[in-house]
Amino acid sequence: MSGKVFIPQDKLASALERLNEKVPVWVPVSQGADRWGIDFKPFRAGMVPVMDRQSTALPKEVIFPQVQTLMTFEYVKAPEDPGRVQLKLEEPPEAGNALVFGARPCDVRGFFTFDRVFTEGPFVDNQYKDRREKTLFAVLLCREADEACFCSSVGSGPADTAGGDLWITPVEGGYVVEGLSERGGSYVQLLGDPATEEQAAAASRSQEEVSRQKVGSLDPSGVVQGQKDRFEDKDFWRSMVNQCLGCGVCTYVCPTCYCFNITDEMRHSRGERMRSWDSCMFAVYTQEASGHNPRPTKLERYRNRVGHKFSYFPEKYDGMIACCGCGRCIRSCPVSIDIRKVVENLKERSHACA
Amino acid sequence: MSLLSERLGWIVFEAETKRLHELVKAVLPELDGIVGWEQGFDALHATPVFVNREEDVHRLMWSPLCVHNLSGYLVKTPPFLPRDEGRKVGICVKGCDSRSLVALEQEKFLGRDRLHIFGIPCEGTVDWRRVMKKIPLRGVSSVRREGPELKVEDSRGVHSLPWEESLARRCLRCAHPNPLVHDVLVRDPVEPRIKKDEAYGLVEEMDQKSLEERLAFWSAELDRCIRCYACRNACPLCVCQDRCIVETRDPKWLTQKMGISEKFMFHMIHSLHLAGRCTECGECERVCPMEIPVTLMKEKLNQITREILGYEAGIDSQLVPPLLTFNPGEHEL
Amino acid sequence: MHAHNPYLPELATVQEVIGETHNICTLRVVLNDPEKMKNFQFTPGQVGQLSIFGVGESTFVINSPPTRMDYLQFSVMRVGEVTQRIHLLNAGDQIGVRAPLGNGFPFEEMKGKDILFVGGGIGMAPLRTLLLFMLDNRQDYGDITVIYGARSPHDLCYSYEFDQWRSGGANLVLTVDTEHPGWKERVGFVPTVLKEEAPSAHNRVAIVCGPPIMIKFVLFGLKELGFEDDQIISTLEKRMKCGVGICGRCNMGSTYVCLDGPVFTYSELREMVPEL
Repeated sequence: MSGKVFIPQDKLASALERLNEKVPVWVPVSQGADRWGIDFKPFRAGMVPVMDRQSTALPKEVIFPQVQTLMTFEYVKAPEDPGRVQLKLEEPPEAGNALVFGARPCDVRGFFTFDRVFTEGPFVDNQYKDRREKTLFAVLLCREADEACFCSSVGSGPADTAGGDLWITPVEGGYVVEGLSERGGSYVQLLGDPATEEQAAAASRSQEEVSRQKVGSLDPSGVVQGQKDRFEDKDFWRSMVNQCLGCGVCTYVCPTCYCFNITDEMRHSRGERMRSWDSCMFAVYTQEASGHNPRPTKLERYRNRVGHKFSYFPEKYDGMIACCGCGRCIRSCPVSIDIRKVVENLKERSHACA
Repeated sequence: MSLLSERLGWIVFEAETKRLHELVKAVLPELDGIVGWEQGFDALHATPVFVNREEDVHRLMWSPLCVHNLSGYLVKTPPFLPRDEGRKVGICVKGCDSRSLVALEQEKFLGRDRLHIFGIPCEGTVDWRRVMKKIPLRGVSSVRREGPELKVEDSRGVHSLPWEESLARRCLRCAHPNPLVHDVLVRDPVEPRIKKDEAYGLVEEMDQKSLEERLAFWSAELDRCIRCYACRNACPLCVCQDRCIVETRDPKWLTQKMGISEKFMFHMIHSLHLAGRCTECGECERVCPMEIPVTLMKEKLNQITREILGYEAGIDSQLVPPLLTFNPGEHEL
Repeated sequence: MHAHNPYLPELATVQEVIGETHNICTLRVVLNDPEKMKNFQFTPGQVGQLSIFGVGESTFVINSPPTRMDYLQFSVMRVGEVTQRIHLLNAGDQIGVRAPLGNGFPFEEMKGKDILFVGGGIGMAPLRTLLLFMLDNRQDYGDITVIYGARSPHDLCYSYEFDQWRSGGANLVLTVDTEHPGWKERVGFVPTVLKEEAPSAHNRVAIVCGPPIMIKFVLFGLKELGFEDDQIISTLEKRMKCGVGICGRCNMGSTYVCLDGPVFTYSELREMVPEL
């Protein structure tokens, strides 16, 4: 490890400029002068990262772009017989390296859900794996948990460094940065001058203090049974999510939502097959060509969403909950549906049944 | 009912909430339920609630955090409507929301006689993002209005913000704060903030820009669109629902690509489908997680509708919206 | 584990297109790479994703058996965008194939047993692969009874093969819903014919595939005949995209139809969340 360095607040932009020369950096920036939201964008000179609140949109985009070309294709005339048409397929080029600066523990945690699905087989998603291996995370000690956050309830916490390569700790006047992985460590010196003893100690104190915090009070145990007991209880689901608008916000701002669509686009004789984020909250998500839909209303769709995260995923992947507790689905929901309330109620009903 | 705000510390207009409870209790037996608002997950959020038992009436509330236009629930699947002829459902509406009811009635999606409308004259709704932008809050425990100020208490103390600065953009340009249709009013009518003629300031400002500047503005705004379609789903007048152009592959209007042209196409079609119909409730803009001023597009079309046809949607249920009819004698067009 | 791009299809050439009914056609397809065609291995019941590049992919069972590898056969009903385009294909056309995917029938466990196939309409396709596989290994199985029905004689697939199936050792019972001029086989709904045939449930496995309403009443019939849940096998259909257990949409609870199915015993189906 290369020790700790200190980046003064006013030198953050220039530190990122140096870093960006070595590896393309993504930073959280404001969505506009009078906007509350922040968003991860590729760093450009002059950008001022906003480090004091969680982003609305996600660094998920870096590893799992909202739209990604799976292959390109072209219909061509067969050279030996122009009357015959042949097909040429091409795979997209490999991804480059990237570093996400200022990701929060929940942002990084989200990829743990992806990893199980995309890299553990039986089929491995090579494009995801490629980007995942080439993306580093400078994870920020999170001191900004709000009423929607519950990361400590789902196996993480505001001082979680799992999956991080660098650790950023805000201190008076700037940030102390230290390496967490070998690859991350190699960038530490570049970012600033060695931290003074006071700065290093302040960082450690802050880390200890934050790591003692428990963010959220949800207890997801017993939900698997609750989901089974209440699966066909329409009144229950109606009472939980009747106000749902059926939009895709909760899924698109979710660090663990990975479901995607595959569509073809073609102009003249060439085109591409691409995948794009899809949402289980959309009506057409499961609608079959015949018109039949196994999840015909928002109730079945929401039931699947909460089931997927808190029941089905744990059943399939050794108890792992497919939720990182970032609270974005709660905060960004146009009608403030609270997934914690649904989970709690599923449990209570199941206790009541038992 | 003082318990409500003591227990939760949330912004509740106690007198109005109490009155609402009384009014609801009085008619609940004749209704197949009522849709209103209750407290949400924190002090800055309310959430829609469906109530059909007397013991749940206490959950209903009124406050400037009751931001949602509930009229969409009456028409979107599964529609919240009375089961039998002769029965009614109850709905709580602000001035802006009531115009959606009028528009839906104009388009024959709703029968006025199926509704019991609890009208709430409104002094504006709070935009929580705007508040957070002004005061980065941590652990909000209470929000209340004190005269010209919004007072917010969080883990670091009490903060105040001029009331006007806490309001949603749609509320700052609201000329109809009092419900246009209602069976009962929950409080006394309030003074409109502006006259309707003054509502298109931002549109006029945009019109001053060159085409290139406008393109740059919308390109930057729409670049953030994540195509979650919250704007569409929250719109009470977006009635195509699961037959939307964004999802049909045949004919195929849009691809799944994330380019500006795709996003622009969607928002343009959304706006054009609302031309002469949009009541400017501002829900599309409120629900946008990426804070894109999408209502502005509809405002422009409404401004044109006003100028050319002298028509304003959602005001008079007896009028036929101009784009839903054809008059061969029309010479302005 | 597959290290390559799991979404990348093999290019293939349509060898022959057979019109089965007014809305069903059968494709015989050969992979362009002769090595890959030669080494192609699968289990009866496994599926493939057919690609029409520029339109999309759709899932179909490989309905030829692994014992007959001159081509891979798929039968396609015209319902959506992709299937409409498949119906326009001619011999020599290029398509993409991702196969084999899914689990297939447990044919090893069926050895030494009597077999009952119950099929309706296009539902005969997944049964055909197993039926032909069994006929090609006739000594491994006991009685093989096939009850196959459709609305009319024109709606029966593979009618040109029925004689082969019979001569190969299958007891083939054909039925159509109503009388038709020249029709000499049975008349009546499949569940009714099942009742009339009343094959013994003893040491027998029933494989059922067809429209949901037929399956529902066939299940009642099989129960009456004494079939246990784990003696009944069916295949599921869901809207699929990736076909490899990643994209998320074909789940029923924690079961992914594309990966864990499409073949399930009725006892497995009863354990799954009811979201058909």
